[in-house]
Amino acid sequence: MRKTFWLSGILVAGLSGQSIKTGPAVGQLVPDFSAQDQAGRAQTLKSVTGPKGTMLVFFRSADW
Amino acid sequence: MAVLKNFADRQHITFPLLSDPDSKIIRAFDILNETVPKDTPTYGIPYPGTYILDTQGRVAGKYFEDDFRERTSASDILFRQYGQSGDVGGGTVVAKHLRLTTAASTPTARPGHRSVLSLDFYLEPKMHVYSPGVQGYIPIEWKLDTGTMAKLHAFDYPSSKMMRLEAIRETVPVYQGHARLNREITFAAEDVLKPLVTASGELILKGSFRYQACDDRECYVPETVPLEWQFRFAGLDRERAPAALQRRPTQP
Repeated sequence: MRKTFWLSGILVAGLSGQSIKTGPAVGQLVPDFSAQDQAGRAQTLKSVTGPKGTMLVFFRSADW
Repeated sequence: MAVLKNFADRQHITFPLLSDPDSKIIRAFDILNETVPKDTPTYGIPYPGTYILDTQGRVAGKYFEDDFRERTSASDILFRQYGQSGDVGGGTVVAKHLRLTTAASTPTARPGHRSVLSLDFYLEPKMHVYSPGVQGYIPIEWKLDTGTMAKLHAFDYPSSKMMRLEAIRETVPVYQGHARLNREITFAAEDVLKPLVTASGELILKGSFRYQACDDRECYVPETVPLEWQFRFAGLDRERAPAALQRRPTQP
């Protein structure tokens, strides 16, 4: 990630897994959201957006 | 949230990890995995993937894999979104009329991970090699013997230049000087990779580069140079959060 210091990376955890759904298309706006981070802070799309944008990773779980 | 904190502490993650316990964000993005039955502990998971967003929240790129066991990697997104390929673990081979260097986007091979291999060639002055599609000459060819180790993705050779050879009155597509070839692979599953790991913990991917070097006067004997890319093997992270933090009891 050393070359992406200007992107703020965030991960959104679901619960603890054809054709798959991949959500908003390139060029579309993503839905706004609010959620707690690992330190209990409230975060929104705006709060996690860095000076050049955001890398938003959806993963299945941080536990298994 | 406690699970995320535990995971972040263990993995030394400092960027925000967001908790979506009721899958609200996942549903808003319409990426809920509906093939998971509602009465199972895994119900609510998303299809895993990555979005690159601009500052307005508009999707600039997105990366989802059809097979959930396969994941893109940060270095692979750097390549696909921004054209940056890596320079990790490179080796140099000096061959006739050119020098070759190998590199990869990550030093580590992980099961199901997508990575980028690079091959640079540096021709001696006045030399050229032929690009694929040339008629009547031997073009460069990059072979990879992935076997079961990895899946190869489609790749393009870089664009070449048309060169006029006055001596033989032909115009041919060539490379001169330096060119970089990049190629994506996805490593196989853990059970397939494990038997391929060397005693010192490495995975070695072998390949070759074939070319025929020419200058403005003559063409030399075609060469095939063996190459290899070395990775440190890392298995899947199977460590779980402490039992007290686990969201649902482990199924029998």
